[in-house]
Amino acid sequence: MQSEHIFKQYDAELEAVRAKVLEMGALVEQQIVDSLDALVHNNQKLAKSVIKKDHLVNNLEVQVDEDCSHIIARRQPTAGDLRMVLMMIKTITDLERIGDEAAKIARFALKAAESSQKLTPRFVEIKAMANTARDMLHMALDAFARSDATKVIEIAHMDEEVDEQYQAAIRQLITFMLEDPRTISISLEVLFIAKAVERIGDHAKNISEYVVYMVKGKDVRHISMEEMEETAKD
Amino acid sequence: MMSTNMTTKKPTSSTPASVLKNLGEVRAMIKRHKLNDYLFSLIGLLALSLALLTLMTLFMDLVIDGYQRFNLDFFSNFPSRRAGSAGLLSAWVGSALVMLVTFIVAVPMGVAAGLYLEEYAPKNWFSDLIEINVTNLAGVPSIVYGLLALGLFVYILGLGQSILTAGLTLGLLILPIVIVSTRESIRAIPTAIREAAYAVGATKWQVVYDHVLKYSYGGILTGVIIGMARALGETAPIITIGALTFIAFLPPSPVSDVAPFINFEWLSSGFTVLPIQMFNWLSRPDHAFHINAAATGAIIILLTLLMNGTAIYLRYKIRKNIKW
Amino acid sequence: MINPTTPIKAESRDLNFFYNGGNHALKSVNMPLYENKITALIGPSGCGKSTFLRCFNRMHDLYPGNKYQGQIVMHPDNTNILEHGVDPIEVRMRISMVFQKPNPFPKSIYENVAYGLRVRGESNKRQLDDKVEEALKGAALWNEVKDRLQDLAFNLSGGQQQRLCIARALATDPEIMLFDEPTSALDPIATANIEELMSELKQKLTILVVTHNMQQAARVSDYTAYMYLGELMEYDDTNTIFTRPSRKETEDYITGKFG
Repeated sequence: MQSEHIFKQYDAELEAVRAKVLEMGALVEQQIVDSLDALVHNNQKLAKSVIKKDHLVNNLEVQVDEDCSHIIARRQPTAGDLRMVLMMIKTITDLERIGDEAAKIARFALKAAESSQKLTPRFVEIKAMANTARDMLHMALDAFARSDATKVIEIAHMDEEVDEQYQAAIRQLITFMLEDPRTISISLEVLFIAKAVERIGDHAKNISEYVVYMVKGKDVRHISMEEMEETAKD
Repeated sequence: MMSTNMTTKKPTSSTPASVLKNLGEVRAMIKRHKLNDYLFSLIGLLALSLALLTLMTLFMDLVIDGYQRFNLDFFSNFPSRRAGSAGLLSAWVGSALVMLVTFIVAVPMGVAAGLYLEEYAPKNWFSDLIEINVTNLAGVPSIVYGLLALGLFVYILGLGQSILTAGLTLGLLILPIVIVSTRESIRAIPTAIREAAYAVGATKWQVVYDHVLKYSYGGILTGVIIGMARALGETAPIITIGALTFIAFLPPSPVSDVAPFINFEWLSSGFTVLPIQMFNWLSRPDHAFHINAAATGAIIILLTLLMNGTAIYLRYKIRKNIKW
Repeated sequence: MINPTTPIKAESRDLNFFYNGGNHALKSVNMPLYENKITALIGPSGCGKSTFLRCFNRMHDLYPGNKYQGQIVMHPDNTNILEHGVDPIEVRMRISMVFQKPNPFPKSIYENVAYGLRVRGESNKRQLDDKVEEALKGAALWNEVKDRLQDLAFNLSGGQQQRLCIARALATDPEIMLFDEPTSALDPIATANIEELMSELKQKLTILVVTHNMQQAARVSDYTAYMYLGELMEYDDTNTIFTRPSRKETEDYITGKFG
């Protein structure tokens, strides 16, 4: 990645796919921000635009997949190049899922705005969690852009934070539902959204782990935090 | 990490004993086979030294017999009735002039014929026939050439028993050698080089002139020199056409100090050559002449060696720049 | 899929070829070469790919008894280069060739590159100097040899010799350049250099390359043709051939199940 290939066309092809992955990442990040905005501010228009833009994310996934298969077929990437291509193929799957979660949130927002129920206060509670998840995605993409393997630990910690916030939100929602059964349907909606945000965090964490694989060639999935820290520091 | 693992856990081989026993047999077999190598190289060396030794003995014998005549007088004196003052002058001048004619006749004809056969002639039964004939000509006894020359050059064309006749005869004699060596060295040029030249748009003549001739002249030259070395020692055809054996004059000089500086009278002059001079001295009863003959023989061998050496050197030098 | 509007530089129409002795080496090959593109020919040994390539500069004319049928038409002038009235030398002046093994002449680097121009009667020293420099630059060799143009070509490394041969073929400004397994005698780095060079050359000319190495075809070419037993089995853009070939024979060959 640092030095150039003798075959310049190869560099151009790899760079083009990388740029597409980053473009897809930026788009997905914006989708999250917009969907949450739409939710918090009851903005139907914004919610609709998020739902509409999901196909752009999907298109990019298909394109990157196609490009990667061409690179594998024509260039036979090895070592770092191979890891980068494999990593990108996996990353776009996660990004596409995040896109789906954002669209899901946007659909809730649309529904909520139509029913004009007083949901807003509930959503404010998961806003902090959503911000953390979005930051995780941002950091993971940044790590990919810079080939930086050290960010994975921070992101893993943030993921634990998001998980805790999710657990807290569930406990809180249960309390609400016990106090007033009329809030059950709303609370369930909020729960689904919280779940979607939690999933976004998981996907972001996956991406950061792929970055470690790309840079170091080591698999840090499914291992303890201590082991992961050791690997990232090497 | 890998290397530390290797040192901590040394894997031990678990080769069964039967395999190790086999290894002993394999080693014994290799030893036997090596003995054959050694034996053969010994036999080869013996055969080689035997051949070389014979040649050396012959040459040394000639040198020992004739060394007392190796002086300037021997080269600057005409033949004489007295062995002590007899010399080689007319013989070596005659040899040199005959060689000159031979060269002028054989080289252009031989190279042109070789080039034509290799590059231009269509490959069919007729060119095959020519090829077989050329190869066979190289093996025809030289006396047959002498008879041919006697009939054709001396009687039919009326060239007389001259230097020209001798040169033409020897030229014909070495023509097959020149043709064959020309073809061989042309064939040594890889197809890829020829195709490369054609591929940039060269015509046949451009390919032949710029490449085929340029890359094969080393080999051609070698063939020519080896042919000339053979011609130098040829006696039979020269005697057949009737070269004189006792000459006390030189042919007219080919170059002169008055215009047109070159003349061709020498071509029709009578002559003798080194091997004939040697033959003549050898056939005399007086032992003193035999010393002269031995000295001449040594000189002919030396000249032949010199020419072959030059050929080898030239081939090495020219080939140095050509690698394929 | 091949874009039907891609300009065509040359095309074979119903091309059949018979070697001396009657071996029917090419069977009705119809194949266009697209302008400023690299077209690769792949297929097992003896499939006719080199035979096809060598039709384009009439190399088969050097050996008696070979017979062409059909046409190879060059655009834009619509000349059928196989026609009897067309001199093979004229064809070779428009279409140059790089061979399997580096085959420089046993001459200096300079004379190797200049030879094609000398054949065309160019003798102006300055003209020759300029052209030689331009060709060596075009073949990415100039920096390595500019101080020793009078050295023998054989003193160059294998990869450099092959680039010298490319310079020799380039010096005469050909419209099409044929590569007959140009890297089969080279190491991987020299191979990569040649491949990179080819993709630079296609800016200026049209390239047809025969290769035993499928990966090479995948790397350098825009279009790939798969030949088998003298027939053109499949011809498509390289991405398609290497990711979803339409014929089973092609798939079997490129996946290494046959051949």
